[in-house]
Amino acid sequence: MWLGKNRRRLDEFFDVEGEKSEELRIVGDAGRVKWIGRDMTRGRIAVEGHAGMHLGSRMAGGAIEVSGDVSDWLGAEMSGGAIHVRGNAGGQVGAAYRGSLAGMRDGTIVIDGRAGLEVGQRMKRGTIVVSGGVRDFAGLEMRGGTIVLGAAELRTGAWMLRGTIVVLQSIPILPTFAYASTYSPTFLGLYAQRLKRLGVEIPVDEHAGAYRRYTGDAAIPGKGELLVWEPRG
Amino acid sequence: MGGKVSCTLGEVTNRADFIIFWGGNPAECHPRHFTKYSLTPKGRFVPDGRKGRTAVLVDIRETPSAKAADIFLQLRPSKDFEVLTTLRALIKDQRVDPAAVAETGLTLEQLQDLVDRMKKARFGAMFFGMGLSMTRGKHMNSGALLNLAAEMNAFTKFVCMPMRGHGNVTGADVVLRYTTGYPFGVNLSRGYPRYNPGEFSTVDLLVRGDNDAAFILGADPGATMPQPAIEHLASIPTIVLDPKVTHTSRLSRVHITTAVTGVSAPGTAYRMDEIPLPLAPALRSPYPTDEEVVRRIRRAVARRPAWQPVDENVRSAIA
Amino acid sequence: MSPTTLRVTGGRVYDPANGVDGAVRDIAIRDGKIVDSVDGGRTIDASGMVIFPGGVDVHSHVAGAALNFARGLTPENYRAARRFLHAPGRRQGLGGITPTTFATGYLYAGMGWTTVNEAAMPVLTARHTHEELHEVPIIDKSTLVLMANNEFVLDLLEAGETERARHVVAWLIWAAKAYGVKAVNPGGVNAWKWGRNARVLHEPVYGYETLTPATIIEGLAAIVDDLGLPHPVHLHCNNLGIPGNVETTIETMKILEGRRAHLAHLQFHAYGGDDWGTMRSAAVEVAEAFNANPNLTTDAGAVLFGDSVTLTADGPWQHLLYQLTGRKWANLDVENETGCGIVPYVYKDRSLVNAVQWATGLELMLLIDDPWRVHLTTDHPNGGCFWRYPEIIRLLMDAEFRKEQLRQIAPKARERIVLGDLDREYTLSDIAVVTAAGPARALGLTEKGHLGVGADADVTIYPGTPDGDGILFSYPRYVLKGGEVVVEEGDVRAVTEGKEFIVHPPSDEGTAEYLRPLFEKAYTMSFANYPVEIERVKGADVRPLH
Repeated sequence: MWLGKNRRRLDEFFDVEGEKSEELRIVGDAGRVKWIGRDMTRGRIAVEGHAGMHLGSRMAGGAIEVSGDVSDWLGAEMSGGAIHVRGNAGGQVGAAYRGSLAGMRDGTIVIDGRAGLEVGQRMKRGTIVVSGGVRDFAGLEMRGGTIVLGAAELRTGAWMLRGTIVVLQSIPILPTFAYASTYSPTFLGLYAQRLKRLGVEIPVDEHAGAYRRYTGDAAIPGKGELLVWEPRG
Repeated sequence: MGGKVSCTLGEVTNRADFIIFWGGNPAECHPRHFTKYSLTPKGRFVPDGRKGRTAVLVDIRETPSAKAADIFLQLRPSKDFEVLTTLRALIKDQRVDPAAVAETGLTLEQLQDLVDRMKKARFGAMFFGMGLSMTRGKHMNSGALLNLAAEMNAFTKFVCMPMRGHGNVTGADVVLRYTTGYPFGVNLSRGYPRYNPGEFSTVDLLVRGDNDAAFILGADPGATMPQPAIEHLASIPTIVLDPKVTHTSRLSRVHITTAVTGVSAPGTAYRMDEIPLPLAPALRSPYPTDEEVVRRIRRAVARRPAWQPVDENVRSAIA
Repeated sequence: MSPTTLRVTGGRVYDPANGVDGAVRDIAIRDGKIVDSVDGGRTIDASGMVIFPGGVDVHSHVAGAALNFARGLTPENYRAARRFLHAPGRRQGLGGITPTTFATGYLYAGMGWTTVNEAAMPVLTARHTHEELHEVPIIDKSTLVLMANNEFVLDLLEAGETERARHVVAWLIWAAKAYGVKAVNPGGVNAWKWGRNARVLHEPVYGYETLTPATIIEGLAAIVDDLGLPHPVHLHCNNLGIPGNVETTIETMKILEGRRAHLAHLQFHAYGGDDWGTMRSAAVEVAEAFNANPNLTTDAGAVLFGDSVTLTADGPWQHLLYQLTGRKWANLDVENETGCGIVPYVYKDRSLVNAVQWATGLELMLLIDDPWRVHLTTDHPNGGCFWRYPEIIRLLMDAEFRKEQLRQIAPKARERIVLGDLDREYTLSDIAVVTAAGPARALGLTEKGHLGVGADADVTIYPGTPDGDGILFSYPRYVLKGGEVVVEEGDVRAVTEGKEFIVHPPSDEGTAEYLRPLFEKAYTMSFANYPVEIERVKGADVRPLH
């Protein structure tokens, strides 16, 4: 591993145990360790603690689980595999690196806590779930895929071309999104089932509320959709 | 998807009949801009000077620049992105939600009128300041305006550029691009350039405490950066090169007084439109130039044993 | 420090300018020049290797405000680029599609090219171009200054004041410290400043009464000849990249009859058809017309499949390309003089248009009879990166390989091209002509592109057999620049500083005073700051005129 410009052995920093394996456990605070699981294609990494920037960046397969928090660019430009973060994440989850045309191409990212700016920016396929809230620009320039958010701040879905963003709380809607219809949750049943397999539940009880559907972003013009849960009454 | 459509300032002087200033206050921050480049001068294709141009100011408050504009559009704080995104839709004859537009502080009618005028222009120019680029949304706000300008070229000629200032910041950007490929936020710690704004940009490095020394030239982060960044600068060996004692000098370990570039040191400065201007010093200074100090430090550093990369893959990539 | 004498023995030498075609010869070098013989010094045993004059690139974009704009626009390209690590005596940098300055020098030298002509420089930002070129190590450089949309020149040509126009051009060349004159989309870049273009050669340019692209072309070709510049007018024809532009290109050749001229990146000007759907290669017609005009030289501007960044002073074309790709676009108009547009682009072998472009470049190189008049380029970075030249060399030398490659492209494209019918294969001597001897001659660089006594000791020594991918020229064993071994066994060994060739054509003494009031009206800087000071051009070598 690199420390600044110097290459060092892993065991200078960590107690390393066990045989070469496709299963890796990292125990302790790795909150400043960058690039864990970069480009991984298979196997499993469990981080018991925090992880730093670029966790699972460009990963194509396998699974990563983190019990604590992670930093920015979680799963950036990933093309497959699954990431589950039990704590919070930083910004640019599943996003494109600066200048790149495409963010996440496929795979699944589930965050139990909150996340920062530009979640799912330029994503093309795959699923991102953030059970807590996210900050501005979720789904920025999104071109496909699904994002499910417990809550969101401003500019959700800005400049999106295609794809779906589900938000479980009322959010400010950009002027360039048009209200299209109200979905009864009944018709989201299959969708909800798929999310449930990822460990995420969205409301499906038609007595409890409905999803307001908006399309946009007209600035592009795009055909993305925003589904915003509205409790009844 | 993104990009930048720009020109040198003489093009604005000679051709622009429609000018938008967004989130900037040139009357006070770039006092020569109106008179030398953008508003009052007569141009080859704008023979009437100021009368031949329509000027629009968009800002959250009525600054002294508003007096110089024909149209002043006052929007609510942090609504720039919403307004710009709406404009991007309106130029393409897309429908927008009037109620949501009204929340920006401007009405749909005002924005539609702006779009109609923009499309009627022969040559439109947009300038933006830190009221756009440093408020909520930051680079995405600038991106929205740059995109709007690019897209306007489907209808008529439009250009857009930031109103940059603070010494030779454009020059630093230019030189970094040709030597490293990237404009700012470049990390050379692996022996080759890496770039990731948010990770390697100065303020982020300082706030996270990632660097263990700082060498500061032509800037005063001690006056402008957030408190955690300043505290980190004070806790590490910080070296400042500056003609005068700055806020950063006071928290640094070493301050080296240098000659003032352009007054008593030669060089090249880049204007905001990236035109290189030669600097001819008028005075002599008892202090060394920045260049001389950096060269001497480099020579001293070069006497130390070279750091060589050990990664065979990287080494063979040179071949 | 550096050896003043050097011998290269036992290699097969390809030096077409001196009629040497693969004979085993020794090459003697003293003080940077090729001489008859030397005593002592280092000897490089080149037995079993082939020896070429150092490559000369007649048309490339390696420095300047436009290229630097492109760098800022495409950080994603650098993340995948080759890395050049900082080391003692060697600066860091990145390769890729638009290499950084230091990397540009290492990459050209590492490929065996030792002279590069930067093909587009405005006067207004020439100071910047020279600063960048100073940071491109090892290779020698020259620049062409953009003239065909300069309003001072256009106004004079419209008024018929050709003599004054000549003085103004001469003054501007020296102000920019340039080597020659470039004409890009004559009149069209100027019209683009109003969002228009110049599509018809004999129709007035937008904003002018009588001035047409044809008058600009004729006028500039005459001026360059009259000034006796070593390199003729370097012309990027109107209607670049547009289906059916073959007519414009052939008409341009007619306008240039009796004049010297270099037609840049001919591939982009050799299309038939009416639109993107019917586009076809018109290499046969263009090559035929070109063969009949011995006054002309050209370069291929070949396209290779993969990533590129298109970068040209041709603003209107770039806006069209932006609308076609819907991706990124940068534009930079330069007051009074020119403009530029930048659009990242991917050439795909399954795209009809791109496959036709790929074939057209190769077809032109195979259909133009005289290899001395067609030079190897990709219009870097427009058609592909310069460091991919070895791929084109293989395609030129191996008809079977070309046929294999043809199977990969969009099937529909095969009906629109003639590449499959062409059996010509370049010889090693032909390769030495198109990569070195021909372009050096076209540039008027008499000591470049050959290995005769008195030539600059720019020598590239390749292994005698192709590499694993069948590519012969990908990996020189040794590259000598000015007699110094700059590349050895695939690594940069010495980082020297190259020269910059410029010319100083005479202009009437009153020219500056004529220009001053015009300048003060049109520009936004002081006239005194406009010309580049000669001290700022490091390694300047002022070349004689005819």
